Amino acid sequence: MAQPAGLLYSKEHEWLKVDGDTATVGITDYAQNSLGDIVFVELPRVGAEIKQHANIGVVESVKAVSDLFTPAGGEVVEINAALEADPALVNRDAFGEGWLYKIKISGTSMPDALLGPDDYEKLVAEAH
Amino acid sequence: MAEYARTALYDDHLAFGARMVPFGGFEMPVSYAGILREHDAVRHRAGIFDLSHMAQYHLSGPGVGAWADALTANDVATMKPGQARYNIFTNDAGGCHDDVLFYRLDENRYLLVVNAGNAAKMWPYLVARADGHRDVKLSSGHGSRALVAVQGPRSVEIVAPLVDADISVMKYYTCVETQVCGVSAIVARTGYTGEDGYELFVDGDAASEVWRNLFERGARYGIEPCGLGARDVLRLEAGMPLYGHELDETISPVAGGQRWAVKTHKPAFPGRDAIVAELEADTYDRIVGIVLQGRVPAREGYAVYSGDERVGTVRSGSMAPSVENKNIATALVTKAASAIGCSLDVEVRGTRHAATVVALPFYKRPTL
Repeated sequence: MAQPAGLLYSKEHEWLKVDGDTATVGITDYAQNSLGDIVFVELPRVGAEIKQHANIGVVESVKAVSDLFTPAGGEVVEINAALEADPALVNRDAFGEGWLYKIKISGTSMPDALLGPDDYEKLVAEAH
Repeated sequence: MAEYARTALYDDHLAFGARMVPFGGFEMPVSYAGILREHDAVRHRAGIFDLSHMAQYHLSGPGVGAWADALTANDVATMKPGQARYNIFTNDAGGCHDDVLFYRLDENRYLLVVNAGNAAKMWPYLVARADGHRDVKLSSGHGSRALVAVQGPRSVEIVAPLVDADISVMKYYTCVETQVCGVSAIVARTGYTGEDGYELFVDGDAASEVWRNLFERGARYGIEPCGLGARDVLRLEAGMPLYGHELDETISPVAGGQRWAVKTHKPAFPGRDAIVAELEADTYDRIVGIVLQGRVPAREGYAVYSGDERVGTVRSGSMAPSVENKNIATALVTKAASAIGCSLDVEVRGTRHAATVVALPFYKRPTL
């Protein structure tokens, strides 16, 4: 399965869509599928400064709690409020409606060690 | 992956797209299409489970009843042929070696099913205890015998046409030796989901044939293959204990909420006096059910507070589709914090979340 173009990917299975100096962050379809039915998402507060690779929240499936790492540092400018009432959005549309939060990327923490779609696809294929 | 055993249905699980995990020494399916979908199937239609990791022991001889009565909290010898009964092997301190099911097949033969995770402990224990009892014979079918469960309101329609005996008239917690799809089987109206259903004990060699026939027959009723993930949510909602969570070597059957299964009138079994003393003092920590108010799931190990006082620990927890999608949990708490309606807090990642003590079970199936 090809990974969506135009996104950057972390080895922790988050995706990042950069638009100017802001970025939308979510978890990949592979990640949601591995987790199973998602029942709770805990996100950082709007306004919080988060560091790249920091543990900034959790995604909980029926059986498991998984830490959420941020693929880029910056200030959280928006969170996906729809996930509070309907966390399963992440299962249904991981790359779209199930996005997690948006950050204003700080100049010093532009994502560098992230993967393109083809390299991420390789990572996922190797995980099988 | 380390060395794990496979059940006779391993290839069927892969064919059905199962996600496999190690459990009790076996590679077992934790889910297929998804825990919530599987859970929904069992509550409203039917689900089919492979439980062949559980250890099946065959006990025979005229002395089995008395021998087992001296090792367990519940009654064994008083069981009638064709009856199934929950029981607990207790330790000398009143804790639990394992919680089990006895199936009395006839006057002198019983099937004993123990938890997979306890089999390595229980088999040598039972063998040692049977030593010198010439009227008790043990044999293990662990790994060679299979167990397929069909659970859910449509179970009888799915299973009955494939079984020689008329299982539609069986009462809950009874068993019969019969044929399923032409092979010898023990069929029991038992389960671990809170729904009606059957458990079918067959030889491993026949398991795949039985599984496929049940699945094919169940397709018209919306049967789903179900894994251990759904099973754990189903049993928690139904208030059924899981060894290692609500019961263990340090938690007595009484503290674990299984007072009903402790027959203190029996003259002697391991830990009997300790349990009687525990009941009389009535100061022990005990398992309660709690419902959280928010959307944050409580998980095993989370701390439970009453005001500023730490009163206990979460032992099992899950989002519960059959309890209005609320987050439910069991917790081992002090007596003072155990009353129904008691307001408690569960600490999740440093933040306290309100919870209320409720009566168990969380879910009871609608009666017919």
